[in-house]
Amino acid sequence: MPYSIHGPQAATGGKGSRMRGAELWYLKEIFRGMYVTARHFLTNVFHMADMPTLQYPDEKPNYGPWLRSRHRLMKREDGTPRCVACQMCSTVCPSDCISIVAMEDDRPDVEKRPETFTIDLLRCVYCGMCVEACPCDAIRMDTGIFEIAADSREKFVVDLDFLLNNTTDGVKP
Amino acid sequence: MAEIAWALGKILFMLVFVFTVLVVMIWGERKGSAFIQDRIGPNRASIGGVIRLGGLVHPVADVLKLLFKEDLVPGAVNRFFYTMAPFVVMVIALVTFAVLPFGDAIYLGDKVIPLRIADLDVGILYLLAITSLSVYGIVLAGWASNNKYTFLGGIRSTAQMISYEINMGLAVLALLLVYGSTRVDAMVVEQGQLLFGFLPRWGVFLQPLGFVLFLTSVFAETNRTPFDLAEGESELVSGYNIEYSSMKFALFFMAEYASMIVAAGFISSLYFGGWQVPWLDTITLREHAGTFLGVSLWVGAVFNLLFAALLWKRYRRERGLLGDRRELEPLVLGIVFFILALVCLGAVVIASPWNLGEQGAAHFATVVQVLSFILKTLFFSWLFIWVRWTLPRFRYDQLMKLGWQLMLPLGLLNFFVTAAVVLLAR
Amino acid sequence: MAKIIIDGKEWEFEEGMNLFEACTIARGGEKLPHFCYHPGLPVAGVCRMCQVEIEGVPKLQIACNSTVRDGMVVNTRSERVENTVRQILEFHLLNHPVDCPICDQVGECALQDQYMKYGLYETDVDVGDKVMKHKAQAIGEHVMLDAERCVLCSRCVRFTEHITKTNEMGIFNRGNHSEVGVAPGLSLDNDYSMCVVDLCPVGALTSRDFRFRKRVYRLSSVDSVCPGCATGCNMRIEYADGVIYRQKPRTNLAVNEYWMCDQGRLLYKHVGGDDRLEEPFVREDGELSPVGWDHLWSALKARWEGLGESRRLVLVGSPHATLEELYGLKSLLADAAGGRVLGHRLDGTEMDRDDGFLMAADRTPNDQGARRLGYEAFTASELHDAGGEDALLVILDNDLAGLDEAAAEALGSYGAVAYLGWRENATSRVADFVLPGLSYAEKDGVFVNKDGRAQRFFKAVDGPRQAREDWRLIAELGEIFGHTPTWRAHHDLLSELSARLDAFGALAGGIGEEGTLLDGDSAAKEVERG
Ligand code: SF4
Ligand code: SF4
Ligand code: SF4
Ligand code: SF4
Ligand code: FES
Repeated sequence: MPYSIHGPQAATGGKGSRMRGAELWYLKEIFRGMYVTARHFLTNVFHMADMPTLQYPDEKPNYGPWLRSRHRLMKREDGTPRCVACQMCSTVCPSDCISIVAMEDDRPDVEKRPETFTIDLLRCVYCGMCVEACPCDAIRMDTGIFEIAADSREKFVVDLDFLLNNTTDGVKP
Repeated sequence: MAEIAWALGKILFMLVFVFTVLVVMIWGERKGSAFIQDRIGPNRASIGGVIRLGGLVHPVADVLKLLFKEDLVPGAVNRFFYTMAPFVVMVIALVTFAVLPFGDAIYLGDKVIPLRIADLDVGILYLLAITSLSVYGIVLAGWASNNKYTFLGGIRSTAQMISYEINMGLAVLALLLVYGSTRVDAMVVEQGQLLFGFLPRWGVFLQPLGFVLFLTSVFAETNRTPFDLAEGESELVSGYNIEYSSMKFALFFMAEYASMIVAAGFISSLYFGGWQVPWLDTITLREHAGTFLGVSLWVGAVFNLLFAALLWKRYRRERGLLGDRRELEPLVLGIVFFILALVCLGAVVIASPWNLGEQGAAHFATVVQVLSFILKTLFFSWLFIWVRWTLPRFRYDQLMKLGWQLMLPLGLLNFFVTAAVVLLAR
Repeated sequence: MAKIIIDGKEWEFEEGMNLFEACTIARGGEKLPHFCYHPGLPVAGVCRMCQVEIEGVPKLQIACNSTVRDGMVVNTRSERVENTVRQILEFHLLNHPVDCPICDQVGECALQDQYMKYGLYETDVDVGDKVMKHKAQAIGEHVMLDAERCVLCSRCVRFTEHITKTNEMGIFNRGNHSEVGVAPGLSLDNDYSMCVVDLCPVGALTSRDFRFRKRVYRLSSVDSVCPGCATGCNMRIEYADGVIYRQKPRTNLAVNEYWMCDQGRLLYKHVGGDDRLEEPFVREDGELSPVGWDHLWSALKARWEGLGESRRLVLVGSPHATLEELYGLKSLLADAAGGRVLGHRLDGTEMDRDDGFLMAADRTPNDQGARRLGYEAFTASELHDAGGEDALLVILDNDLAGLDEAAAEALGSYGAVAYLGWRENATSRVADFVLPGLSYAEKDGVFVNKDGRAQRFFKAVDGPRQAREDWRLIAELGEIFGHTPTWRAHHDLLSELSARLDAFGALAGGIGEEGTLLDGDSAAKEVERG
């Protein structure tokens, strides 16, 4: 329909219609439109099962292995964190949501480990840079948990303990 | 006394009818828009965690929620008019129904009970009068809310009503000429005959241009898309009802649907033969009542069985998908349909051969005719929904131009041509 | 003068000047790659990083061990130089563990920085082939050694040999197995041991105090002056999020060169210490109780007025206070309000031995400033004699009671004692009014060191919420005694004092980066070189 708000009508404030009657009523286009919507309607009524909608809380989408989901910290074989508190993740983090306090570790081959390690999931933008920065493969975003919900802001700030035991069946934040 | 009882009964029927259809329409609007847009639509609310009826429980839940919501009244409003407005809108939407016939008369012995509420000679003029009142509710709401958006919404609505009322009036006038009566029931009766021997003598065939004009005006009068400028979310937030909450808002909301149903009733009465079943007038219906009943029971049985089978299939297919009681729904509904099928079959077996007697046949005819009216009304109600999810909103200048520069001349033309034809035919 | 061409440009330098320094100037301040060269240490020339091309000499030469000669043509940026540096760096990394994640040097590591520029980025060395050395050895009270990370630049060894002359450190073994360490039976416990942490270009020597506490790139720093002794070593306070993490020497060839003693470095611990005075206190019913400022001022005023018609004001300054505060105390409370200035310190206290290097016998930072303002040392009996039931004693940041028992007794003879300071001590505990001030790290100020050099220091972090800048407290006190100060801002004090007092006339033009000598001559002590 050749009608634009920059057209002559808009400019002249509606002084005399340049459009022909049928066009002004849009009748033809209305019928075409109604044909389209009716087609969609009927198709969907009779092929309801083919609708692309995912019944979300019942059905979960499979985002594949590259989904960056809630973080977790890996453990060494003895159960202590693999993280050496190098702070590369917190340095690279664009939203500055990782805070780490390092401490000395008695084991000579470890030397350093995190005393506290918190991530503010509300601030996190799930960019995955922390995972890429980590030299020890200590932080991963492969839990598959993408529903990050809690009833207070504090609960979004997750700590070392949480992150170490954070798997798909783990506790929610 | 009996007169009053019958009148009350008819009013009750009308109210029940309107409110039931209203619920179905709200559901239809949500579900229909969803299907049109390739979505699934509401389907979560349930009764007992089992029965969801494809979202039909949602309107009920909504109403319950709105009932229990806090009734907020903003500080700066004019309380009296603010409170009155939603009632005005709702009442006006409902009283329009008074002149609408929803069936042929019922004959009880020598008593004739016409199936319409008010026996008014002015008939169709009543419709025009009342619908033009409904703008008051909206203007009142807009003004009393003391909010510039609501006010603009009210103003828009007024201008729009005034513009389109004329076109509606012109279309109706042409109809008056054709049918030669202002009474709606008389018009419906007229439409029971055949045109050229094969077409039902429906208004739409006699007045095609009038129908289009009437339909368009009705859309405008009910403030529905594409003429819902009074609500214009993009510029007026939600128009005249922004300041309303809880049940007052619900009244506006329901009134919109109620007036749509009324409008649908009028469209079907004026242009589609109202309660008339095409090609089957009352007499034919009564004569062959037994046969028709038998056939419809058979058809009913077959369809119910079909539904039951489909639902069973669905139950089998979807078992284990959701992992809770919701899975039982197709099973439950399937059983219901199966029972219905059995009932139909049983009725066929028990009641055959078919002889309803004169009285029974008359009642059967009435029921069929009322059903015919309801079906037509439902269809036109659906048309409102369908159009809403097809067309975008008009711009205000387009709206005015359409009303005054196109529809008005066409309406006049239609009127004079009809008058001439009627004059010549006489 | 020698004309020499560096990177195609002609320069004039002193004949015999170190070529490394000449190149630094010629390269616009960008130093040649290096590990072992340090201007404060004798040249060793062991790291071979500072390679330059000298025309007429067939092989590349190290700049740090060459001198400027007339007619020299030097090239520092040729491809040949860069390739050589790249290969040498690869040698340095042969046995390097590259455990940067747990290394505190990250962010100020010469190896990292230079690798960014001259790195090969692909190494042929297999981790398994590396020579393992001793890691994480605490070689002294303050220093941690990770011999694996050492690039054997010998700076630390030269430091203990030539600067402290304590000779604790050495390089042991040969070839691949060369390893730095402390001599058997010794530990690195001299008073300057943490200087080796600054010296070490890599993370081999790290501070035990700072270990793992913060990534250095998270730290901000301000210039400051050590308040630990009369030398006034220049230093930087490094802090993050309002917390001080370390203090490092700042080069000032006229004062401390590149060094600083361990004691001074660790002084920052007092700033956030448990003994901070965080709130105003007033003695009520014999007990010091925390109160708000309004309460303190009205109580002080009432007390002052309650001392009777003959009430007197006695003032004690401090060699720890800044020049501005001492001037404020004197000009407002003494000259204007008629207080009697007793002096700035108890005679003979806060003295220790002079170690002949940096640590001065006088362990206060601003004795000279106070004396030049007219403050003098006093004795406990003078303190006692000035007392009386009608006297209010105002003490500015001076722990009289803690330094001398007789002075502690003398305090008892005063009608009331008000203490301005930032640490709780014996004096603050016996005072009637305690006015919390700020530490050296929380305010700006000037100290005058033992050579009469006025040096500025700047605020690094915020003080406790209730604490106030001391000069403001002095101004408030003036109001109580009925005198409004002539200065409204902190910098007014310095400009007023330099304008009014001849002894400080040298400060009128501001104080330079290296400080300004008040006496105008070059009486600065020449720091002995090892
Ligand atoms: S995913 Fe990105 S934003 Fe989130 S913690 Fe990691 S680096 Fe920070
Ligand atoms: S980058 Fe890895 S090892 Fe380093 S602090 Fe983060 S999680 Fe720990
Ligand atoms: S000294 Fe430390 S920071 Fe520097 S390269 Fe070695 S491990 Fe990394
Ligand atoms: S420990 Fe540090 S200063 Fe000492 S030789 Fe090794 S790299 Fe140089
Ligand atoms: S800096 Fe010249 S050899 Fe090390």
